[in-house]
Amino acid sequence: MTVVQLVVNGLLLGGVFALSALGFNIIYGVMRVVNLAHGDVVVIAAMVCALAFGALGLNPLVLLPVAVAGGFVLGAAIHRLLLRRLPAETASTEASSLTLTFGLSFFLAGGGLALFGGSFRSVPFLTGAFDVGGISIPQAKLLAFALALVLAAALAAFLRFTAAGCAIRATSQHLEGALACGVDIDRVRTLSYGLGTAVAAAAGALMSMIYNLNPQMGVQFTVNAFAVVVIGGLGSYAGCVLGALVLGLANAFTSYFVGASLAEAAPYVLFILVSLLMPSGLLGRRTA
Amino acid sequence: MAFLIVAPHRLNGYFVNLIYITLVYVGLAYGWNIISGYAGYFSFGQITFFGLGAYATGFAINAFHVYWMLAALAGGILACAFAFPLGYVMLRLRGPFFAMGMFGMAQTVRVLITALPATGAGAGLFLPPGSDVTSVYYWTLAVALGAIALTIWIDRSAFGLRLQALREDEQVAGTLAVDVTRDKIAAFALSALIPGLLGGGFIYFLNYIEPDAAFSSRFDLQSIVMAILGGVGTVWGPLIGGVLMTQISEALWAKFPQFYLMLFGGLLVALLILLPHGIVPALKRRYE
Amino acid sequence: MSDDLLVVDDVTIAFGGVVALHGVSLTVRTGEVFCLIGPNGAGKTTLFNVISGLLRPSAGDVRFCGDSILGWPPHRIARAGIARTYQIVRPFSALSVLDNVAVGALAFTSSKREARLQAREIVEFVGLGAQASRRASTLTLTQRKRLEVARALALRPKLLLLDEVMAGLTPTEMDAMAEFILELGARGIGAVCGVEHVMRLVMRISHRIVVLDAGRCIAEGDPKSIQADARVIEAYLGAPVREAL
Repeated sequence: MTVVQLVVNGLLLGGVFALSALGFNIIYGVMRVVNLAHGDVVVIAAMVCALAFGALGLNPLVLLPVAVAGGFVLGAAIHRLLLRRLPAETASTEASSLTLTFGLSFFLAGGGLALFGGSFRSVPFLTGAFDVGGISIPQAKLLAFALALVLAAALAAFLRFTAAGCAIRATSQHLEGALACGVDIDRVRTLSYGLGTAVAAAAGALMSMIYNLNPQMGVQFTVNAFAVVVIGGLGSYAGCVLGALVLGLANAFTSYFVGASLAEAAPYVLFILVSLLMPSGLLGRRTA
Repeated sequence: MAFLIVAPHRLNGYFVNLIYITLVYVGLAYGWNIISGYAGYFSFGQITFFGLGAYATGFAINAFHVYWMLAALAGGILACAFAFPLGYVMLRLRGPFFAMGMFGMAQTVRVLITALPATGAGAGLFLPPGSDVTSVYYWTLAVALGAIALTIWIDRSAFGLRLQALREDEQVAGTLAVDVTRDKIAAFALSALIPGLLGGGFIYFLNYIEPDAAFSSRFDLQSIVMAILGGVGTVWGPLIGGVLMTQISEALWAKFPQFYLMLFGGLLVALLILLPHGIVPALKRRYE
Repeated sequence: MSDDLLVVDDVTIAFGGVVALHGVSLTVRTGEVFCLIGPNGAGKTTLFNVISGLLRPSAGDVRFCGDSILGWPPHRIARAGIARTYQIVRPFSALSVLDNVAVGALAFTSSKREARLQAREIVEFVGLGAQASRRASTLTLTQRKRLEVARALALRPKLLLLDEVMAGLTPTEMDAMAEFILELGARGIGAVCGVEHVMRLVMRISHRIVVLDAGRCIAEGDPKSIQADARVIEAYLGAPVREAL
């Protein structure tokens, strides 16, 4: 029975990981930028939700649209004001954008620490649990999982059916091709960075219901998202969801069997292992 | 130079400490610069070797009661030796995968050491009381000067040219008869030796080390900022960047401890946009 | 046969489900100019990647000077005497032209100064003397093509693989390149040239030709017999020419 319980916990957690990783994946797909500030946005959104719940009684459901809008504005601003200004002639653009988001991550984490302090916070909302044949399903986790899937589906629909989504997909598949078709790459990048960050913020709002977080934990979510994307295959959205479920399961099992203190290393170890062992991921595109 | 040699006997404790810290950072920046500046493998986890050096030194002093410099030398050699198998595995990863893989490595080692009772776990490892600050000062001065000498040699040697070639295009370097695997592992090991030796001095200086300090990603952030400010992949960049940045860093720490991380992260972002090549290349261009 | 420099023996390689090379065999002799012609995507670059050790074939063997070089790392193959250029030029952008070439010269010396001296000669030889101290990123396309060749020559190769060296050159430059390739033979260097079109030059410089199409050798022979081969004409023009006329 424990195993079933762990599987349920892992899958529920995996849903929220999937949402967060989708945002990371869009940014990587379109810009080839590994956004190391991703997890910090997740955590800051969760902090804001926790504070708003405590002070104003606003629950994360109400705050979800606010998080999405705020995340979008933040992401678009980061692209417009920072990433876009990286000098083009920097030979190793990948290294410079990576280093930039590394700095940004410290900026956000440090800012979060200064603003919110180092204590752990969460939103005590829907604290009950359903009992299904001896398996406990916490209501908050179920709700977060369901909302994550709804948002992921909305994102998928946006990418598939709208002109902007089409431009995003085209750019991530073939930059020159998209340019040749008259796509305004710069705008697509701003949009993608905004979208990716909005998704991270939404994931943070959901995360606040199920996790105890402090501002310094952002990097763990970044590594989580990175690991999910590596497991699923860079650029593959379906792989992303699959990878997140795998990671959610791994997380649930390691924290049960090795204890919370060692489990902290699990995402890092997993990231290193999957990068080494399956560089093109479960569903990734193979390149010759 | 003469000033640096007589400093511990002429200046008061505050300034000796300041020079000591500057030397540590300059050394770390030089270490990072070998693997990341010359060989182009950006690492966000070279601090792994600093922590290992520190712990190995502390362990050797406590267990065998050897003179601390011998222990620190052993610590440095151990860190360097560990870099060979680690490099063989990790250097298969590229770009952001290597950068984050090394970050994960530092965190994993930190978590492991925190979990091990033999290393004092989370509480830290204590040395017998009473340390001779002057001897640490000279040790660190020697390591920093050694790091500079090593970099001068690399910059002038065939080895350095091969590293630069594999940084620019590893595949092409391979077909031009560069044994890329051997050379990058050698660069990685040299890049590990320096922080390893510095770590030994650091634990003796403090008389104590804890996992969070020994494997702090803040050190990585700072050495990267310093190398970038001075000029990545240049001989004098880490020195200039290190000296300047340590003073700024100490001033920030004294005045705004709560905003320290945030300001440092922001500084890195600003540098990448405003002075992406660093001071040394900018000066070179001006005077050419 | 002692003067067989390179033997490619029944090499097959597949990526996923796509067979990029299908049982390709060829033999290059010392001092010979061997042209590999075929339309875009025929597998010329893949074959070069197999010979230089960047790709491992799923079947077949590659022998150089009598030794199987299958599974050797690229640097060992390069040191053994096989140098190559890349179709899409790949200079070490941040390094000077001289240092680009010196990297290859390091195969024979551990002194950077000595490597630079050797590189200086080669740089002069390919006509980049005036650009020697400039960063490679500042070169024009033609100059980059020459740099590719110069780097390869620094390895003092016995065999030179030239991937699409004619592409992007003006007719005058092509003639100069053709002269250069012919001169290699005189120095005892075998050459394999991958060429998509420019048949006029191929016919002039080649001793022998292999025609690749969709990963298969469809014809092999001297320039005259290739010109007359119906399958070659079909691969290039796509339809039986006589019927269309």
